[in-house]
Formats: sequence, structure tokens, C-alpha cells
Amino acid sequence: MKPGGPLTTSPSPRRHRTTLAALLLLTLGGTPLLAQHQYDYHRPVEAAPSEADIGEGYVTPVVQYHPPRPQWHAALDVGLLAAALLIGVWLVLKRRSRAGLLALAGACLIYFGFYRQGCICPIGAIQNVAAALTDPDALISYYVIAIFLLPLIMAVLFGRVFCGGVCPLGAIQELVLLKPLRVPNWLDRPLRAVKWLYLLLAIWLATRSAATGADSDPTFTRDFIICRFDPFVPFFRFAGPTYMLLIGGGLLILALFVGRPYCRYLCPYGVLLSLLSRFSWRSVNITPDKELDCGLCADACPYGAIKNLRAERSTCLYCARCFNYCPRHRVRDRDPQPSTTTPSD
Amino acid sequence: MNEPQTRRELLGHAVRGTALLGLGGLGALLLRRADAEGAWRINCDLCINSRLGAVGIEACELCASQCVLPLSAVRAVNDHARCGRCYICPAYFDVKSAIDERGLPSLKLCPRDAIERKPIGWIDPDDPANNYYEYTIDEERCNGCGKCVLACKEPAGLSSIRLEVRHSLCLDCNRCAIALACPHAAYLREPPRPSEAAR
Repeated sequence: MKPGGPLTTSPSPRRHRTTLAALLLLTLGGTPLLAQHQYDYHRPVEAAPSEADIGEGYVTPVVQYHPPRPQWHAALDVGLLAAALLIGVWLVLKRRSRAGLLALAGACLIYFGFYRQGCICPIGAIQNVAAALTDPDALISYYVIAIFLLPLIMAVLFGRVFCGGVCPLGAIQELVLLKPLRVPNWLDRPLRAVKWLYLLLAIWLATRSAATGADSDPTFTRDFIICRFDPFVPFFRFAGPTYMLLIGGGLLILALFVGRPYCRYLCPYGVLLSLLSRFSWRSVNITPDKELDCGLCADACPYGAIKNLRAERSTCLYCARCFNYCPRHRVRDRDPQPSTTTPSD
Repeated sequence: MNEPQTRRELLGHAVRGTALLGLGGLGALLLRRADAEGAWRINCDLCINSRLGAVGIEACELCASQCVLPLSAVRAVNDHARCGRCYICPAYFDVKSAIDERGLPSLKLCPRDAIERKPIGWIDPDDPANNYYEYTIDEERCNGCGKCVLACKEPAGLSSIRLEVRHSLCLDCNRCAIALACPHAAYLREPPRPSEAAR
């Protein structure tokens, strides 16, 4: 499809075969999408008086209407997500700065959480993707595809930088973590399996009506449970069902003492991220140069992600906390002329 | 990046390459279903309040009650070009209420008094019933309960009022509470399709 081509003339979604890059060009180029944003609505109108009937130069007022969010807003969101992911990688792997990462996480919490009100997020996008893959009637927007894939691609390359620096659900838990307690292994392991079950359940419920088609079926049963039981979105919106406010509040209180309970034990997107980051190209190196045997980092990690004094790629949440506890890191920081050689693997 | 040194590094490259290819393939699959214009919309031909043929029912107020916003993102909209400009508008007046001294129903239908009524055009100084009236819905007050939509339908009205999503307010929830509650699957997220004949 040519940029500026007739995106709007064809109601068939199948024709919109274009790449994300072309979409971004199209939307950033400011091509207005003059689509008709309402359903056609036909009623017999012979009885309605015309302007001439009414007389005295009466002019029919325009129908009140507010168009949907412009497309460039969506493109901006995707761009901001990509930028935040790259900045997060740079802050953690190059600058090794916990303060910088916290600032990034706070900014993302404000933008993606409180300003954009938490919708749509990559976690919830799992369900849209599952529905679009199985249901021929389900559509998915370019925006959702990009939001879903970008953190996964970054996980393959650099690990779970989305969790540490960008995800507003992660950020809100990171910021409230007051006094981390160690979750014993016998409890930690089974709890970590819960998010797998949650993911499978969410996919099943999101694809359930695939066979019947959702449009006119009154027994439409598809449900997006990840969104329904999203614990922190009610806080972002200052509105929500009471039981969700209670669950979210409870999880936040738990997050004072247990590091990121939602991310570690419930987040279905965390399953995908941990799978893809297992073999990531780059990952967090705790010491900047020389490894020590002190184990201070392992005690400092509230997420139990440091095994054998190495950050485990699949569970490391890119919080950069361990850097601040590493003696080598402090030595290097105090060194007025830090060595210019990069740390060897 | 140097040449891969060990078997382990080589394996890592292979796994990463496979993973990226897989994600690319997933993206390509999804692009075939992709559409740029997703927004929640109400199909007025399915909505029980505006659907022709659905008479003698109570107004469905789920759009007003289910939205996660304190004041629902759904509003009633009067399409003036289709409005009959009636003297006694069944959507403005509660036509079952007692007649007052002006000869008009004494109560208004809208529970939030969100409809404004004013005479338009050439105004007959002697007979108010001989005028046309313009009905404008105050979107700050309206909560989308749909009572006026139902009243402005056959047999009394011309169906000029319909429910619409105020996109300036809609949070665009991935899991829209109204869409899930709508018993007639009239609240949809898809590009508009050509209207079917009223069912």
C-alpha cells in the first residue's frame, strides 16, 4: 500500500497489509484518516421538517461529535515505548545507574500509568494477540502489535528491561518496596508457576468464542481476565470496582515487603519475557570489572534473581539495585580516573 | 561483535536468531489481521434503545451504569437533521405525566434534565403549538441512560436521538465493561461496517 493510499475506503481489514514502518511513516506524515467513525444509521426522515419549513434562516446545527484519538498519538506512544526501552538498556548496561533507572520508571509510571491510564499495555495485549490469531472476526490494531512485540524483541537482545524501566505496573511496585523479605525457596518455586497457569487461562478465555464469532452471538463469552483483574489500573484511573481496589491495595501492601509480587508470581507477560530473555544477547553484569565472592549482591536482590553470584537472565528484572551494593562498583565510582577498558565477559 | 568463540556462544546466537525470526513471523501473521481504526462504537441498529421494532420495553441503561468512568463516556446525541422538532417531544417530556396549565406534560423524561428545548425559526406569537422546537442534549449532564433514545422511536418519534461514545472521554479500555455487559452485542470495537437492514 502506498503511503497516503486509500486506507479508509476499504472496510475490509484484510486489505490493510502494510508494514509497521510504513504505518509509522504514514501516521507521522500526518496523513489524515478521514474514516467514517460511526456506524451507518438509517431511519425514515420524511417527517422531519427541512430548514425551509422552519424558516427565518434557520441552520441545522451540526451533530455533536468527538473523533477518536488521532493516529499520531498511537504512533507517539509506540515511539515513546521504544525510546524508554532503549534508554533503560543504556542506563543499566552502560551507565549502571539505579537512580537513572528509577527516574525512567517513574516517568513511565506517570506517562503510561497515570496519563495513558494503563491501556493498552503489553500484558493485556497478549489477549488481543491470542484473539486475533484464532478468531477470523477479531481485529488488532497496528499499535497493539507494536506494543506487544517491542518488549519481547528487547528481551531477546537485552533481557527484561521492560520490567525494570518501563512497565508502570512494575514501577509502582518497585517504588513502594520498603523492606524486602526473602521468599523461601519452597514457597517461591510453586508461586512462580502460578503465572504460567494464569497465562494459559487468559489465552483460553480470550480465544474461547473463536468458533462462534462474536458479532451477533448473544452467548458471547470472550473475556479478557488480565485486564479485568489488573491490580493497579484502578489506581491509575482513580476508579474501579471495589474488589479490584481491595486486591490492588492488598498487593501494594504485600509489595512493601515482598519484591514485586505481581511481576514475579502473576504477570503472564513475564512468562514470555523470561522465556525469551533466557538466551539474551546482553544481560546485567553485576560487577563492573572484577568478580568478587562476597555475595552482597545476592543479599541485596529482592527478587531472588542472583544465583551463584550471577544475575539470572530469565528472572533479573533490571532494577539495577545490585550495582549499588557491589564493592567493586563503589571503588570504581570513587576512582577519579576510571579505567577506560570495558569489562571483559 | 567478534566471531563466536565457543559452542555455547554459537548456540546462543542460534537461539536468539530463531526467537527473533519467530517474533517476526508472529508480527507478520498479526499484520494480516491488523486494522488502524479500532475504537469502541455503538451499532445503533443493534442497540435495543434505538433498534426499530423493539417497542414496549424498558430503556436499557447499561451504558450509563457499566462504564468505569464516574460519568459514562456514552452520551445521547440528537441528529438535528432527522429531528421532527415536535411541540411535545416524547423524549423531552414524560408524556405519561399530568398536563399542566400550559397544556404540556408537567414532567420531563430526562432524569438529569440534560435536554434543552427552544423554539426556532418563525415564531407564532399566539400559538406555541404552531412552532418548531430544537432539542439539544447537554453532554456535560447526559450520562447515556438511553431513556430519550427509546422514547424518540416509533411509534412516537423519528429516532433522531441515538447513543454515541464520546471519544474525548472514553478510556479505550482493552476490556470495555459496557461491551461485556451489552446484551445485544451492540457495543463493538471494530471499524464501521455497512449498515444492515434493521432487524
